[in-house]
This record gives sequence, structure tokens and C-alpha cells, in this order.
Amino acid sequence: MSLEFSFYPGCAGKQVQKEAKSAAHAVARELGITLHPMPRASCCGAVSLREAGRNICTICNTCLQTLSHANYRFKREPDVLEKINGVLKKAGVRPYGATIKVQHLLWVVVDMVDPKLLKSKITRPLKGLKVAPFYGCHNLRPSEIYESKAGDEADHLDRLITTLGGSPVSYGGARKCCGFHVMLSDPKEMRSMVATNCLDAKDCGAELMISPCTLCDMSMSAYQMPAEKVVGKKIGLPEMNFAQLLGASMGLDAAELGLERLHVDPRPILKTKGL
Amino acid sequence: MAEKTYTFRVQRNKVTGDGKVESRWQDFKLAAEPTTTVLICLEKIKGHQDGTLTYRMSCRSAICGSCAMKISGRTRLACKTHVEKVADADGVIRVSPMTNQPILKDMVVDIRPFYKHVHKIKPYLQEGPETDKNVGRSSYDQVNHVTQCIMCGSCYSDCTMAEVSDKFLGPAALAKAFRFVSDPREGMKTARLRELSEENQMWSCCRCAQCVETCPKDVKPMEAIVKLRTRGMAKGYVDGPGPRHALAFHGDIQKTGDLNEFTLMQRTIGIMGTLGELGMALHLMKKGKVPSPFPHKVEGVEELGNIFRILEENPLDVETKAKEVAPE
Repeated sequence: MSLEFSFYPGCAGKQVQKEAKSAAHAVARELGITLHPMPRASCCGAVSLREAGRNICTICNTCLQTLSHANYRFKREPDVLEKINGVLKKAGVRPYGATIKVQHLLWVVVDMVDPKLLKSKITRPLKGLKVAPFYGCHNLRPSEIYESKAGDEADHLDRLITTLGGSPVSYGGARKCCGFHVMLSDPKEMRSMVATNCLDAKDCGAELMISPCTLCDMSMSAYQMPAEKVVGKKIGLPEMNFAQLLGASMGLDAAELGLERLHVDPRPILKTKGL
Repeated sequence: MAEKTYTFRVQRNKVTGDGKVESRWQDFKLAAEPTTTVLICLEKIKGHQDGTLTYRMSCRSAICGSCAMKISGRTRLACKTHVEKVADADGVIRVSPMTNQPILKDMVVDIRPFYKHVHKIKPYLQEGPETDKNVGRSSYDQVNHVTQCIMCGSCYSDCTMAEVSDKFLGPAALAKAFRFVSDPREGMKTARLRELSEENQMWSCCRCAQCVETCPKDVKPMEAIVKLRTRGMAKGYVDGPGPRHALAFHGDIQKTGDLNEFTLMQRTIGIMGTLGELGMALHLMKKGKVPSPFPHKVEGVEELGNIFRILEENPLDVETKAKEVAPE
């Protein structure tokens, strides 16, 4: 199977969370996944689907949800597709045939890459490191719109952690909200969400947390210290993008993975496992 | 179908004299068929093993909403949940009370906080200047969806915003508000939208979609919340951080195709709000997390401009609509 995708990093991946994008490119290169740029793609919307021409792959949950939701409706509601294509035609844009699939890079790595190839690339296994999977919301719900296992059934992060030689932590916050979308409107509540989820993971033994989403990364890592102030408790749980951890266990260069850009530094705990 | 022995790991809760809740887990073993409901099992446990086990139930038909409880990680109606669907690999089914509401005993919670929010949105039709006496067949395309709500409180129990804020109205109350905003007979539609645009109401939903996943009646509360926001903005209620954020996205995509994250905060929470967030900005800058002040322009941005212009001249109705409800 040829693993070629149009790559849609999302706004955060292009700027404040660019380490996730850089890590995504690094692991994709190692695993034989080709990520084509999308120079004409706008901030997430139907236009991006049409621009792709081949299946899309993203590293932002919210982009995944927006694109998947539009695509889900286009595939099931021909009248909606026709209306939208009418607008595209008038605007001088090629119409969309509702033929492509929207994927997350995590799904590609876990479900499409040859497991033997993936295994062979893991040169620095996690040696039982206790890793909390933080799925975030927009690759899970509403479960019917996605092209992969979603909702309570999704287990991609857990399987990845196991493949990397780590031990996935089971805790209540794994499928809860990082609060990113109320960061500015409800700042105190957003920080409480970050603190609750991180403390929950820590109480269940987590030494590290990973997420598949650049927005969750920003909340759970960059906002962890501000969250500590709201709840008056120290958290200190390193959080990183799944592609960064995957890259680290492939022995890729820490600078390429952008580990120095993370607010709660994962390097000390990774070092104890020889990474 | 063959019976199998399941373990019901049930949270027993007792309120002590000083108002604290004492919790412990108790295991009950019970043979059941895979499609037996959790409620039937709880009744057998109460009838034959421990009569003190306490829970609410009434209709057994997923219409009264009494038996909502946390079952294996999510809030569900016990009468609508088959044991096999919620048992783990060892046949264990965890049962505990709904969250975000105070516990009274075992699985029974005080539902007043939930209803307080529902009452706040005035769950009845009001006379007023916008009352329309002409009610057509398509008038209920929007309302049908949310009238399926049985007020079981499952969505409120699983709401990730309600978990950190007891002021947030919650999914069911907001879905109910949408039901009245969309009803042609309602006379105070605009007044409702004005009130819903205030703090802790429709703009405080964090869009986690847990309510859509949890709702046993497919009400899709979050969809209703998103529609409320669109209607509120159309009425000119664009002053809070939520609508300002949405408008900033809209403007940026139209102009450059991409977000200008550099000025996004200032446009969302204003100059004063941004000054208040300076500490946070410095904290982000420490790790180089500063967006570029020069927005990137995507290729073919004029096509995007065309799309926006055409849609502004001739708006498209692409809202999801519920199917007409016919008697079964």
C-alpha cells in the first residue's frame, strides 16, 4: 500500500506547536510515509478537501473533526454537496467529488504502516515507561464521522505506547477535554481541566503524557504551570506529541523533534530509559 | 443465548452525619444473558442479594430518564444498556452514580443543580413581539431533534465543562433553550439569544462533544449549542470573547486563508484582556511559542474571497435537520 497523503498540519502545527509538525515529518520519513504540502489549503474547511486530490492526513484533532464532519455530510447528503459545489463553481474553483478520506497521522502509523517496519525502527524502547494516553475530543466524537475507530473504541494511543515498549496508563481523563477552545473565554475553567486531567494521570502512575493533537499539546504542556497556580498544586507531568515520543524511541535527533520547545521538559524522564 | 456470570462492581455511597460521602466498592456476581439490561440485573441484586442497594428507576423503557447512572465509564440509562456491551474482558461491569451532582445514597443523586439550570432558561413558550401564529410543516425541522430530550441528566453528568464549573448551564438546558428559540410560536426569541450570549451560557461550551456521544435519545446537544451561537451572532450579539474569536477566524480566512495567531488574542479578549494575559505571553515566549506577526497567505486566496462574497450575497442553509417524527 502506498502511503501518500496531502499533509494538513493545521494553524498550531505551523506556528506555536511547530515541533509537532517537524516531528511528524521526521517519523513519516523513517516510516516511508509521503506527506505532500497543501499550498492552497486554507484554515480548515471544505476548500481544503477539494484541494487535496489525495487522502488527507493531519496532526490536529480539531482540523480532523472539521474536515471529517464536512466530508461525512458530503458523502451522505448529495444535495449539500451539490449546493456547495455550485458555490465553488461560481467562485472559479474546481468542484469536490467527495471521494477522499480524512486521516490522522496517528492512525496511519498504527493501522497502515507495516507493523514489522515500525517495530524494526524502534531502536530505543521505552522499557516500561508509564505513559498516559490523552486522546482529546476531536478525534473521538461524534464517533460516526471518522474513518477509523473512534469514541470509546479508539485505542490507537494505547497500542502505540505498547509498541514502543511503554506501559499505557488507564485513568479517567484520557478521553476528556483539554479546554483549548475555551482558553480565552473561560480561562479559569480551562486551566482547571488541564490540572484535573494531568493530576488524574499522575495519581494513576503516569510519568509522561502524549496526545495526538497540537491543541491538546499546547493546553496540557504550555498551560500546565498556569494550571498549577489555579489549583494550588504542583503537577510536573511532561507532555509531548505522539510523533515526538515515537521519534525519540526511533533515536531521532532531539532538535529535529523540538523537545527543547516543551514547557515541561520530557528529556530527564526519557533519559532514565536510555532515550 | 447462553447465560454468563458477570461481576457488578457497584459503588455504595452513604452520606454521614457531617455531610461527607463515604464510598466503597462492592462486588455482586450474577448470571445473565448478554442482552439482559443492567437495570434488570440491579433489580435481581436488590431482590435476592442485598435489599439496601438504592437507585432510581421507573418506566424501564428509556422514556422517564430516572435510571441514568455511570456504567463502565460513561453515563447511561440502566434500562437501555445491555450487560455485554459494558462488561470488560473479565466480565466486570462498574456501576456508580452520575457525576457533577451531589450524592444522596448509592446511585441516587440530588438532581436539583441540573434542574436549576433547566429552569433558568425558562422552559416554556412566552408571549411576545415575535410570536408567529403560522406554524408550517417544516417549522419543526430543527425542534424535532431536541424535543426527544427526556431530561435524564446524562449529558450533564458527563459534561467536561460542568465538571469544572457549576455555573455553566450544561448541554440539556442549552438544547432546551434552542428548542424555544427555534419554535415559531415563541415570542421572545431575540431576548433569549441576548441572555444566552452572557457568561457561562452558550459560549462556555468547550465543544468536547461528549454530550453528543452520551445522550441516550440522540438529541445532539452540542449541535444545538453551535446553532444557538450562529443565531445569536446573526442578531448582533457579538460582544463576548466567544463571538469575537469566531469573527476573527472568519475575517482571517477571508483575507489570507490562514489564521493570524499573533493578533488573535487581542481581537478575542481586547487590549485590556491581553494586558492581563501578558504573564502567559511571556511564559509562552520562553519556549519560542510566538506566532509570526506577518500572516502567511495561502495560494489562490482570491478564490476564497470569491467564495465568501458569493455566500454573503446568497447565504446557504446547510444546517442539519431532524427527520419528521411520525407515529411508529
